[in-house]
Amino acid sequence: MSGTILEMRRIAKRFGGVTAVNGATLAVGTGQIVGLIGPNGSGKSTMVNLVSGEFLPDEGEISFNSEVVTRLPSYRRARLGMARSFQLLRLFNSLSVEDNLVLANHMRMNTGFVDSVLSRKNARLEEATARTRARELLSWFDLQELASQPVAALSIGQQRMVEIARGMMSQPSLFVLDEPAAGLSPPNVDRLIDLVRRLRDEFGISILLVEHVMRVVRDLCDHVVVLDAGQKIAEGRPEDVVSDPVVVEAYIGSGWKRRAQA
Amino acid sequence: MKKYIAALASVALLATAPLGLGGYEISVLLMILFYVILALGLDLVTGYCGQFSFATGAFYGIGAYTAAIMNRDLGTSIWLHLPAGAIVAGSFGLMLGIPALRLTGHFLAIVTIAFQTIMYLAISQWTSFTGGQVGLSLRGTDPLRIFGIELFELGTLKSYYWMTLAVTASCVLIAWRLVNSRLGREWIAIRDDETLASAVGLNTTFGKLTAFVAYAALAGIAGVLTAHSLRGVTPDDFTIWISATVVAMMVLGGRGTFVGPIIGAILLALLPEFLGRYAEYKMVIYGVVLVVGMTFVPEGLVGRFRRSTAR
Repeated sequence: MSGTILEMRRIAKRFGGVTAVNGATLAVGTGQIVGLIGPNGSGKSTMVNLVSGEFLPDEGEISFNSEVVTRLPSYRRARLGMARSFQLLRLFNSLSVEDNLVLANHMRMNTGFVDSVLSRKNARLEEATARTRARELLSWFDLQELASQPVAALSIGQQRMVEIARGMMSQPSLFVLDEPAAGLSPPNVDRLIDLVRRLRDEFGISILLVEHVMRVVRDLCDHVVVLDAGQKIAEGRPEDVVSDPVVVEAYIGSGWKRRAQA
Repeated sequence: MKKYIAALASVALLATAPLGLGGYEISVLLMILFYVILALGLDLVTGYCGQFSFATGAFYGIGAYTAAIMNRDLGTSIWLHLPAGAIVAGSFGLMLGIPALRLTGHFLAIVTIAFQTIMYLAISQWTSFTGGQVGLSLRGTDPLRIFGIELFELGTLKSYYWMTLAVTASCVLIAWRLVNSRLGREWIAIRDDETLASAVGLNTTFGKLTAFVAYAALAGIAGVLTAHSLRGVTPDDFTIWISATVVAMMVLGGRGTFVGPIIGAILLALLPEFLGRYAEYKMVIYGVVLVVGMTFVPEGLVGRFRRSTAR
C-alpha cells in the first residue's frame, strides 16, 4: 500500500436543522476498493456528494492526491482525477453513447474552443483521438456496437455500463461508484463485480464503493466503513464488519436481541 | 453534403429574389432576415444551452441604439457599427449571464424579463442620450470603402438587402460552427444535466456565459442592421413583444434543431402579411401558437419531422 488517495477528516454537513454527516472520517488507500455502507439515511449519499464537490462541508477537511480540495467545485475535482457514477443513473440523454464519453474527455483536451469552432487541424486531430479512445474503451466494456446509439435507447444495465465507461474516459485515479448494483438483475450483479475488480487491476485506479447489495461489498472491498446517523460506527475487513454487533444493531435495531430471547 | 447544398440553394434563391420583387416585398424579406438572426441566437442560449431568456428585444435594442448613438456622436458608418453592436450587446449578455449562473428555469426567465423591462425604461427615459420616446434617426448608409476605393454601394434598398443577406448568412455559418464544436456539445451537456456536466469536469460557468454572449451578440448585429434599414430607432421597436415573438418562432420551429428556429422565424414573420387587416391581432396568434405548440408539439415542427423520419 503506497499512501492514501482520498482522506476526509471530521466532516460535518448540515441541511437547515438536519445534520446529515456529523464528524465522519474516511480514507481510501491507493489501489484499494473501499466500501461505504450504512442503513438508509445514514449519510452515505451526502458523503459521496461531499467527495465529488457537489456539496461543500460545513466542517472538516478533504484531501485528494495529497491536495486539499475542501472548497473546490466539482469540475475542478474531476480535473484532478476524480470520476463518479450516480445512484440514479445520469447520462446526457440527447447525445449518443460516444458523445457522452467524448464529453468526459473535454477537460483533457489541449486545443482551445476557438480552434474547435474554426475546425483547425489540431482540434480535428484531438477530436479524432478522443473518438478513437472512446471506441477502444467501449470495446473494453463490450459496448462497441452501441457507440452511435442515443443513450436513451439503451437498457438500464447498458446505461449503467456506459456511465462507468464515461467515468473511465476521464482517466481518473479515484472512481466513486454510488450504488452501481441498484436495479441490476443477479447475473448482471455478477458481471458488475467482475468488471469493477478488473477496472482496479487493469487501470490501477482506487475505488470508493457505496453499496446496499452486501454480496458486492463482500466480494470486492478491501476495507469497509460503516456509517450510521452521519458518524462512522465501525470499519475493517468486510467479513469482520458485517458480524460486528454495533453494525448489526444499526441495521436492524436493538429490538432483535430481546425478541430473540423471548 | 445535402445540408450544404440546401443552404447554398436557399442563399442563391434569396440573393436573386430582389430582382423580381418590389420595394415592399424586399422590406418584408429584410425583416425576415432580422428575425432569422434573432431566433438563431435565442436557439443557442435556450435551445442548445437550456437557459431561458425573454430579453431578446433588449439586446436587439442595444445593438440598434449602439449604431444610432455612434452615428450621431461619432459620424461612423455601418461597417464599424456591426462589430461594435455585437461587442456592446455581447457585454450586456455577459452581464445578464452572471445571474444565470445561480438561477435556473422560471427564476432565470423572470430575471431576463426584468432586464428587458429595465433596458426599455432606460432607452425610453434617458432622453439626453437615447432621444427618449422620439428615438433617434440615422444618416444614410455610407458605401463600403477600403483604402478609399468604393467596393459596395448601400444607397439602394437592393444593395442594402444583399449586404444584410451576406451578414445573415455569416451569422448562420458562425452559429452552425458553434453548435457543432466542442463548445456546442458542452452547451447540450449543460442543458441535459448541469450537475453531471460539472461532474465530468466541464466548466459550466464558462459554458453558460459563452452561450449568453453569443446570443446577445447575434441580437446586437440584428439590431444594427435594423437601425440602418429603418434609418432610425424608437424604444417601441425593442419591447418584450419582440422577445415573445422570437420565443414563439423558436418554439414553433423546434428548440435546439438549428434549422427549426430559422423556419419558425420565416413562418411567423410572414404570417402578418397574409392576415391583411387582421394583422393587428398577430400577438394573439403568436400567443396561441406558443400555447398550442408547447402543448402538442413541444419539440417543434422540425423536431417532430426528424422524429418521424428517424423511425
